[in-house]
Order: sequence, then C-alpha cells, then structure tokens
Amino acid sequence: MSGDNTTIFTSYDRNPKLYDELYDPDGKVTKVYKKLFKLYGKHSIADYYELNNKAKASFFNQGITFRVYSEEKTNEKIFPFDLFPRIIGAAEWEHIESGVKQRCLALNKFLWDLYHDREILRDGVVPLELVTTSENYLDQMIGVDPPGGIYTHISGTDIIRHNDGKFYVLEDNIRCPSGVSYVLSNRTALKRALFGVFNHYNAHTVTNYAENLLELLETVKPAGVDIPTTVVLTPGMYNSAFYEHSYLAKTMGVELVEGRDLFVENDFVYMKTIAGPEKVDIIYRRIDDAFLDPLEFRKDSSLGVPGLFAAYKKGNVTIANAPGTGVADDKAVYTYMPDIIRYYLDEEPILNNVKTYHCSRKDELEYVLEHIRELVVKPVDEAGGYGISIGNTLTDEQVEQVRKDLRASPRKYVAQPILSLSVHPTYIEESQSFEQRHIDLRTFTVMGPEKSFVLKGGLTRVALRKGNLIVNSSQGGGSKDTWVLKK
Amino acid sequence: MLARVADNLFWMGRYIERAEHTARYLNVNYFSSLDAPNTTSQSRDFVLRSMLFLVGEPAEKSEKLDEDKVLYRIGMDRGFSPSIINSISYARENALSARDLISTELYESINKFYHFADSYPTKKFVKTGLYEFTSQVTEMTAVLRGKIRGTLLHDSIYAIIMMGVNLERALQITRIINAKYNDAKKSPGSYGDRFRNSFEWTTLLKCAESYDMMRRHYKKTPNSLCTLEFLILNPRCPRSVMNSLNQVYRHVRTLDPLKIHDKDSTAFKVGKVRAEYQFKRIEDIEGDVQAFIEHILNELSEIGIQMEKEFFHY
Repeated sequence: MSGDNTTIFTSYDRNPKLYDELYDPDGKVTKVYKKLFKLYGKHSIADYYELNNKAKASFFNQGITFRVYSEEKTNEKIFPFDLFPRIIGAAEWEHIESGVKQRCLALNKFLWDLYHDREILRDGVVPLELVTTSENYLDQMIGVDPPGGIYTHISGTDIIRHNDGKFYVLEDNIRCPSGVSYVLSNRTALKRALFGVFNHYNAHTVTNYAENLLELLETVKPAGVDIPTTVVLTPGMYNSAFYEHSYLAKTMGVELVEGRDLFVENDFVYMKTIAGPEKVDIIYRRIDDAFLDPLEFRKDSSLGVPGLFAAYKKGNVTIANAPGTGVADDKAVYTYMPDIIRYYLDEEPILNNVKTYHCSRKDELEYVLEHIRELVVKPVDEAGGYGISIGNTLTDEQVEQVRKDLRASPRKYVAQPILSLSVHPTYIEESQSFEQRHIDLRTFTVMGPEKSFVLKGGLTRVALRKGNLIVNSSQGGGSKDTWVLKK
Repeated sequence: MLARVADNLFWMGRYIERAEHTARYLNVNYFSSLDAPNTTSQSRDFVLRSMLFLVGEPAEKSEKLDEDKVLYRIGMDRGFSPSIINSISYARENALSARDLISTELYESINKFYHFADSYPTKKFVKTGLYEFTSQVTEMTAVLRGKIRGTLLHDSIYAIIMMGVNLERALQITRIINAKYNDAKKSPGSYGDRFRNSFEWTTLLKCAESYDMMRRHYKKTPNSLCTLEFLILNPRCPRSVMNSLNQVYRHVRTLDPLKIHDKDSTAFKVGKVRAEYQFKRIEDIEGDVQAFIEHILNELSEIGIQMEKEFFHY
C-alpha cells in the first residue's frame, strides 16, 4: 500500500506465556482472524498512523469525549480507541450469550427473593449477614413488587478469558452499567476508517440496541397505562457519561430529563414541558439509588425527584433498574453466584466464576494473608478499578499495608487468584507498532418478563499500559470494536 | 418538549446568530475602512470605537485605543461575555444539553465550529487572522442554519430554535443600525445632504449582507432613507427587522396554533409588534431614528420575557 515495506505485524512480539486471541495453541493465526490478519498485514505503519489519526478526529468532531478539568481551562479528550477489532466466533458467542442470560435470570430471582421471602437465606445458601451488612440493601424495597417482577432491566457482565482459554465472569454490573454507546461509536469509527474490511466478514449489527431496550422497557409499564411515556434520567451534561445518556435518549426517541424537569403530584410523576405537565410512566435512570429521591434516600440530593419513590411504591411509575439492585452485584455476593444459579434455576452455571476467598471468614483470611503475592485483593464495593492490589506488583511495604487493611476490616475485602487476561494486538501510539495488551469484554443484556436480549458485540476494553490488568477507562483503558460473527 | 431544553435551544439559536453578526461587523468595518473615501471613516480609531459601541462597551472620548486589545476583547476574550468565542461556546453548551433532540449532523457541525474557534491562535487573530477567522465564522454559521433547516424535524423544536435565530437577528440588525447611524453622524458624506449620503450606509448594508440586493432593488447608491427602509421595513430582505418579525410570528404559531391568541400570549405580542411595522413608512422612522431604536429594542426584549413566562418557566 505504500513504499514503506514495514507492515504493522513485522515487529509484533508475541509472549508465549500469554493467551493471545489471534493465535491458536500451535502459534498459528486462528481461523476467524486469518482474513483480518492478511488485510491488516497489507498496511504499512505509515498508513496505519494516518488511519488512526482520522479515527481520532472522527471521535473528536462527534463530541464523543470526556472533559478533563484543570486550573486554566477545560480540555476535552477522546476515549482511546483501537482500530484492530476483536472477533468472537459464532460458537463461542453462543456460549457467552447463554451464560450471561442465565446469570441475569438468576440475579433477578435472587433480588425478588431478598426483598420478599428470603428463602435463600433461610436455606443457608447465602449467609444472612452478607445481606444485612450490605450498604446497598434497601429496607425501603422490602415487599415492593416492581412492575413485571423485573429488577435488573439492564445488566453489564464483565467477562475475561484466562490463559487456560476459558471464559470467566469477573463482575456483574446491575446498577447503572455504562459503555454501550461506545460499542456503537466504535463501530461507526471503524466503518469510517476501514470500511473495506467489513466486506470480508459477516458480523452482527450493534445498532439494534436502543430499539430492543425501548421495547423491553415498555413491556414493564405500570398497570393501566396504554401507551407509556418513557424518559432517560441523567445527572446532567457535566456527567462523564452524558454522551451515552443523550445517545440513548436520541436513539430511543424519548426525552432526556434531569431531576429538576420532573415533579410528583398525587403519587404520579410528571415532566415540565413547554405545553405544561406531561405524565411519565417509565424512567430509565442513570443516577444512583442514593440520589433518586431526597425524601427517601440522601436528603442533600439535588439530582433526584422528591416523592419519586412513593410513586414507585404505588406502582405508578417504572424505574429501571429497580432501586436496591446493588445488593446483588457486590464482590462478596459474586462468590456465591454458582450456588445462586443452582438454587433458583436448578442448572449448572454455564460461565465460570473466579475462585474467591472471603476475608470475612477466618480460615480464608488466614490463607489470603499468607498468599498476598499470588492474589488480587479487592474492596467489596468499589467501582471503577479503585482500591485493587495486585499481589505480584506490590512492594514489601505495600504488602504490609494490605495486611493491615485486611485485619482492620476483613468484611470489606475479597481476594482472587491473579488471572492472566488474554491479550490482543493493539496499536500503541508511542512506539507506533502493534503490541500485546490485556483485554476483557463487557456484554449488555436487557431483560423483560417474557424475553431477554443480549447485544451481539459488547465492549472490548484494553489496558493500554504495558502489563496492566485493569481495563477501566478511569485507569487509562481504551476499547476496540467487537465483532460477533454470524453462523 | 421539556421547558428547560426549549430554553436551551432558544439560546442556541440566539448565540449562533449573535456570533455571526458580531464577526461580520468586525470584518466589514475593518476592511471597508481601509479604502474609505474620507479620513474619518478611514481612521483606525473610528472603526475600533464603532466595534466597541456595537458590543455595548463604548470607549470614552479621551481613551486611547490599542488595536490588538480591542480585537482580542471582542473576538477572543473569554472574560468578556459578548465576545465571539463566548457566543460560539455558549451555543455549543446549549446544543450539548439538548443533544438528544437535535440531529447528529447539527451537533457535529456546532462541535467542529467550536473547536475551530477554540483552537484558533489568539496572536494570529489580532495580527493577521482577522479576515480569515471572521469569514470562517460567518461561513460556518450559514452551514449551521442549513443543518437546522435541512436536518431537523420542522416541529416545535425547530420553531423554538428559529424564534431564537430571528429574534436575535432583529435585535442585532437594530443594534448594527444604531452603531452605523452613530457613525454616519460622525462621518458625513461630501455632497448634498451630507448625513444622508454618508459612506457609512454602504458599510451598514454590507454588515447585514444586504448591499447587493439593496442595489438591485433601488438601483442607486445607498443613502440613509433607502438603507433604513430596506433593513427595517422591507419584508423581502431576509435580514430586515420586518422579515425577522414575520418569521418569529410564523414560528410562534407552531407552538400556539390558535386563530385568536390569548391577549397575554407571546403570539399576540409578536403579532402586535409585527402589525405596527407592517404599516409604517420609513419617513415616520427617519425623522427620529433614535426613538425607533429604543422602541424596537424594548419591544423585542418584551417578546423575550413573554416567551420565558409562557414556554420556559420551570
């Protein structure tokens, strides 16, 4: 393609200890990547450099950015995006999809049980104190029946591939999982930059997310409503995920509201429009439980709507996800997921869970204290990759600090073996070459009473710093377009 | 549509329009002064004062003006609310909060526009870039209007934006008339009725992008009478106050489609102001331009207040 003969894979340095998505165990390029490898191999580094800049400009002009505040002025940055897509074959995807559906179903049943009869606690499958000590368990939700019996309308499941080649679920996100808009903008950016490669693959579309979301949300409309009015509730334009909120509202064709646009009268919710109040039936909220309603939760919340929870309890409005789901996605409950699935569905879990040590249990705490170097220690309820200690990267002083923290508040921590996330060739700007970087996958599931939908794609996140295992964007992570191939 | 968002879209329209008129005013006045027919109009000091007058910060008589500083203040100073960069920046902020309602194409254009202005080097702007920057701003605002008209649904959202655009246009044209009327008094022409034949009337028409069409309509060199008539009363001149009022009236009826408007409504108020100018002769105005300007500015501001009460109250 250009005079320079150095192609982008010439200097690719493959570490055989890591599971590289591109290669099979014999070191050959796998079947699904073969064509792509050939197509990308034709590009010189110079071509690729230019394409990469074009894609970046596309994100910038579309305003798919986040703001970095400094003293002088506010800067806008794009989320790092990698032009080499991740491909998932049809059979592998089927396995993942059935696995996340199973988990979401079990989690929803688990939540219903926790807020109603608590059978699973009485049967001793999950320890009682796990629930009673959880900050995310809402007493206000006890006995409340969410419309259609659905708590977790939208779930984000984080999945990785270990160096044994198997998929493991790392985390269930069932509060306000974000990232789906990046799936769509990654696809758009890749199509703009490298449209030619799409002809050679038969990948599923990702643009059907919004219509499925709206359709399934409308199946859980409050009783007695004929044609429901749905809104997306955002904290406002300075929120880092505002692009996603506006994107979802736009593609669903519904209003994007802030708390101050809504009010409650006689336990019904209304929005303030240019033609006066209009009743709201379904709220897809992107604000946390604590901020939903200052009368019921945090009193200083200016993001929420006074009286919203009372309207919800009366069954006059649907809130998605339901308040109080956080109790089921913290890292301590995660460890019981295989049992939870067996208990409610009478099935074996399809996707693996990572072996987890509970520091709240004495013997397991002892094990963790002795094996810190081989483990990842995580706080139970921190999001965004904060507070994680990876054993083999710690100094002696840091190990001591972790030990101290663990002894001080064991309930706050769990530990897991250090997993080796699979790697994927990723363009690194500084070295202008492809290098191996660790990746994960977040899938998005929307669930209604009759059916559920898993977006065929998901967000592949990349840890851009060499050797880093944490892929969150707040920790310098980027993302890739993800292709799920048709059968 | 949400009342808060309607408010934002209304102001998006206004700021786009404001950026355009301020930029063109700088451009036209600066460059037409270079070869103006008399020394007053040619003087740099005269032009800078006129610019400051337009943005509502007239300079003291004794004050000595520094060209770089004046251009910086009006073009690039983020600490000066009416600056061009602020108008563009506010337009984008308002668009951002209503991003779900407007088209991707419109938002992308506004965003690109903002990044162009934001990254334009200040030093270049005051030294050599005035023409390039202001021309680019006026071009891009035209693109934005095209995207507004061509990519949005022509419903109440469109009506709100267009009311913002046209109300601001009427306001800016009036302010420009005011500034140039002021200049014409200071820099009279060289023959006949010297005020009426000032060179500044030509500049005024160019500030409103209406010079060529005015020539076509009247087939003569602009004087005060025909210039003011064209820019205030001619309903077919797209920049005239009359046309802007007609547009505001047309769009307010999308929001308030009643045949007989409530007496306290915006539609009633707009209709009333519009009717007043529809049946006015330029001779009625030319005798006391100052009174006209005060009157119309007042009426336009009342329309804005009325809209706030009726549609944006939340």
